[in-house]
Amino acid sequence: MKFMELWVSAMDQEKAIIIENLTKLYGKHVGVKNLNLIVNKGEVMGFLGPNGAGKTTTIRSSLALIAKTAGKITIFGLDSHRDTVAIREKTGYLPGDFGLIPSVKVSSYLKYLLSLNRCPSTKKMTELAERLELDLNRKTNELSKGNKQKVGIIQALMADQELIIMDEPTSGLDPLMQQEFYRILRGEQKQGKTVFMASHNLAEVEKVCDRVAIIREGQLEVVEEIQTLQEKTGKVLEVEFSDPVSVDEFKIEGVSEVQEDDGRLILTIHENLDSVIEAVSNHRILNMNLTTYSLEQLFLKYYTQEKQQRGDA
Amino acid sequence: MTGRITYMELKTGLKGLLIFSLLIIIVSVGMPLILPAYRDSLTEDLEGANKVNLELPTEEGGMIVLSWEPLETASDYMVLEDNRSSMVTATIKYVGEETSITFEKDFEEKRYYAVMGESTETVDPVLIGIAATEKGEDPFQGLIQNPAYAGFTRGRKVSMLEVKGFLTFEFFGFWWMLAGLFIAYLSVSVIASDFENKRMDVMLSTPISRRRYLLEKFSAMSVIALFIILVAIVGLTGGLANINELHEFSAETVFLSLIGCLPFLLVISAFGMLTAVIFQKVRVGMGITFGFVFVEYFLYIFGNFSKSLEWMKTVSIFNYWDYLSVIFDDLFKAGDFVILAVLAIVLIIICIWVFEKKDIPT
Repeated sequence: MKFMELWVSAMDQEKAIIIENLTKLYGKHVGVKNLNLIVNKGEVMGFLGPNGAGKTTTIRSSLALIAKTAGKITIFGLDSHRDTVAIREKTGYLPGDFGLIPSVKVSSYLKYLLSLNRCPSTKKMTELAERLELDLNRKTNELSKGNKQKVGIIQALMADQELIIMDEPTSGLDPLMQQEFYRILRGEQKQGKTVFMASHNLAEVEKVCDRVAIIREGQLEVVEEIQTLQEKTGKVLEVEFSDPVSVDEFKIEGVSEVQEDDGRLILTIHENLDSVIEAVSNHRILNMNLTTYSLEQLFLKYYTQEKQQRGDA
Repeated sequence: MTGRITYMELKTGLKGLLIFSLLIIIVSVGMPLILPAYRDSLTEDLEGANKVNLELPTEEGGMIVLSWEPLETASDYMVLEDNRSSMVTATIKYVGEETSITFEKDFEEKRYYAVMGESTETVDPVLIGIAATEKGEDPFQGLIQNPAYAGFTRGRKVSMLEVKGFLTFEFFGFWWMLAGLFIAYLSVSVIASDFENKRMDVMLSTPISRRRYLLEKFSAMSVIALFIILVAIVGLTGGLANINELHEFSAETVFLSLIGCLPFLLVISAFGMLTAVIFQKVRVGMGITFGFVFVEYFLYIFGNFSKSLEWMKTVSIFNYWDYLSVIFDDLFKAGDFVILAVLAIVLIIICIWVFEKKDIPT
């Protein structure tokens, strides 16, 4: 028995977050139900789901900001609701929605949080502010939504903690800043940090995450490597040609679906992207757009089908 | 690291605190300065008062001696009596040649006597002067004896014309409201605004326990409460020194009477923080905390109405800040001080216990 416990705790050392049977009810409303999830040390885990799916509830339960109805959450082997202070020492957190102390300089607000995090160095704070082009001398109440989000990102990362939990980190950031943020996140991962990031944007998760957990209506649908997910969902290519082309020409290996819509072709591609492009380039192209599946399409196309199949079997 | 939240709270609230302190200075310095003018306003300026002398009896039912300066041209004198100095409804008390009369004081109220000389040269009588049976009177005297107001003095016979009585009503009578509601407002908003402005998530993701968060905020409130009390002590002492009344109302009395309200303010603060933790809204917390202060106040006032209502007094925090005994009896009730301090601590413990169980709303 003793040995088992030691063994389990040794295994736990390799896990950053272990969520077991987490249930959170808000009265009759279900926030999260029987959720099981493991985040390994050193990985960037995406936590994907539509708004109201239970992402924020899961994250806030992990940080003991809300009590859980049932289940157990362990972070670095520590109990989420008993060893709260020890967990917070190791965790940087960006909430989905947050406010700043008004009428103080951004730098003094951040230094205040640094001191609460017992981090004496301001080096990373200034470094991140430079990369995100945030003026630390501005007053907190004069910030735009995007700049406020930058303050949130900086405060989550500046104390150099082992685990970074972020809830919709890029909301309000312009595309250029989003790219910079992804680069920062990859840098964090290289330093061995673990990142657990909630998002409702599939493209974003694909860009930065190693694995993704998909949650819907309070229940975990699937946990998958990003690569596997991409193979399953594929890309969508929209092409507009100057002359009419036959649909059959694009029914090649790796293309699961070809649709014609008002002179445009819409192809769903899983593999062999190069041969598809080759086929496309045989014609005169007016316009072309390669996109990722949206989360809604993903559920519609893939997971509902899979569920049905499971149901049928 | 300890004290960082306290420090930040004091730093961000400094401007408001200084503005409020200015208000306290104005009130605490200004109130004693008003006293001389108040006294003057009650001393009547009766015509020819120096020419008429009225001696009152020392015991009840004794004789009044009224005498006046003789008038050369007068042959006869007439004394009119009225309860108003205007002599609109006067009755004739005496007509004759004497310059002094003696009569029994068989009445309670204030009466005025006008002495006139009837001249042989002119037709109209000439006024020599007016005297009254009482000097300037404290208009609140009658009111204070009413049991409804006994709570203000705890049954003491207090004169508004004296500095002790004057400050009891004009300063201490509303200081609780000024300081109490200020502390109530701060204590509620210092917690509830962190909820409302969604600062709690970030705050509680730092290695700060909920208990420490509350204790540090409460420390900030204690410092502010002590600060405004000290400002009032300095202001009131300054005002008293200015009107040379420190021999009547010493600096030590000012200090002890005001410092007694420190635990009183801390109870209000702890109560405010408790409502903030429970309701997590500034407005709701503020409404309930203000309500609490006023309910406590009226419990104290009603408790002084009669013996049968005395229990109400004992459950009011106002009963345990007895500035009157410091002012009038030189007695500082350390036991009451401890009772309120313990109550504040108990409320803070409940506050921590509730907060540790509560979900932080998004």
